[in-house]
Amino acid sequence: MIALTPDRCNLMLRLEGVRKAFKDQVAVDDVSLDVEAGQVVAIIGPSGSGKSTLLRCINLLEIPDRGRITVEGQPTDAKGGVSTKELMKLRRKVGMVFQSFNLFPHMTVLRNISLPQERVLGRSRAQADARSMALLAQVGLTVKADSHPSQCSGGQQQRVAIARALALDPKIMLFDEPTSALDPELGLEVLAVMRQLADQGMTMIVVTHEIHFAADVADRLIVMADGRIIEQGDPKSVINNPQVDRTRTFLSAIRDR
Amino acid sequence: MEHFGRIFEAAPVTLEVTATCFTVGALLGVVLVSGRRSRSWVVRSVSRVVIDVLRGIPPIVFLFIVFFGIGSGAITLSPFQAAVIGLGLISAAHLAEIYRGSLLAVNRGQFEASQALGLGRTTTYVRVIGPQAMRVAIPGMVTWAISLLKDSAIVSTIGVAEIMLVANQDARASGSSLTPFIIAALIYIALGTPLAFLSRYLERTLSLKR
Repeated sequence: MIALTPDRCNLMLRLEGVRKAFKDQVAVDDVSLDVEAGQVVAIIGPSGSGKSTLLRCINLLEIPDRGRITVEGQPTDAKGGVSTKELMKLRRKVGMVFQSFNLFPHMTVLRNISLPQERVLGRSRAQADARSMALLAQVGLTVKADSHPSQCSGGQQQRVAIARALALDPKIMLFDEPTSALDPELGLEVLAVMRQLADQGMTMIVVTHEIHFAADVADRLIVMADGRIIEQGDPKSVINNPQVDRTRTFLSAIRDR
Repeated sequence: MEHFGRIFEAAPVTLEVTATCFTVGALLGVVLVSGRRSRSWVVRSVSRVVIDVLRGIPPIVFLFIVFFGIGSGAITLSPFQAAVIGLGLISAAHLAEIYRGSLLAVNRGQFEASQALGLGRTTTYVRVIGPQAMRVAIPGMVTWAISLLKDSAIVSTIGVAEIMLVANQDARASGSSLTPFIIAALIYIALGTPLAFLSRYLERTLSLKR
């Protein structure tokens, strides 16, 4: 049984009635969600189901039309626009990793990780570099510190992107299909880093098609379709015993290939 | 030979006009493109109108407006000042459009990553987007510099003593109307060709590094 009495101190993220439409296309339709500190939540669903948009609403890369996002007890209401100050405050607590890595191509790996620390947290260059090197060691890429992103494999670039986000000491990490642009083998090294991060107690929300990762690492699996959460629960029981037809079709589509 | 000597002596003036106008344009172009991408729609619209107007007027017409129109009224402008204002502003508009195109060429993901990391707007443009856009912009900027070098001939019409004006004077004084202009043409080619090579070279090296 999952304990359904949320300990308020442990609540890391709460979404209430989040809605986002593009023109007349509703991408995220009235989604509410609680994530506790240290929880790993995997979101799956067919493309166009709104899972990426939901993720991008959490750090306000997309400003929701409606709803409230509370990170670590600090609420941001979408209604009536969000001020730059609120944006910055929220983004400071939330790190994000993209499908396409989005490293800065004109900077070395080390600068990629250090520059945001200097600009956002006001760390000195030496402090920032020290932190960057520690994180590069953690993701196994110390040797790449002085390389440019183009000299790294996709898997390496994604690990650098993870280190870059971690360097800002986020409370939550968002992953938007972090392995979808990678060869299966390179994806594995990224998943290994994410697994390690989960073991360290990082709160993570992962949009993914990696069903094994979801089953092994996630504490909770969310299935989205048409902008709504259609099913959620313990990953293994959702995967092995889906309750909703739509989930069943989707799962068999990604499993039986 | 004395034709060549006289005309060639005016080459530094041509280069000075070109370089000054280009510098003014390169800097004001940044202002215009910032306006074009401002969050306020008023600033955006004003910037667009300014760019369209400056690009829509033939350079010689604009030059006459600045020199004979504005420059002979309450304020007096020297021919050189009027040339720099006239061609400088037109360059600003053209370069702003080159900048704008190169900003559009930078992957959207770069903006998103900057936002997600919490970088401010200034840091994002100066440290992340600008350097990448510059690579795309440079070949176009050099191409504009070449056009400007040639178009600077029109400032002879308001009395700046550059290559074209001196060639014209020489033609009238000597009664030989072909040689001075051929010489002027050759000097323009000699000045412009290195720029063309530079442009091609930069295009190659900058695109390789991406």
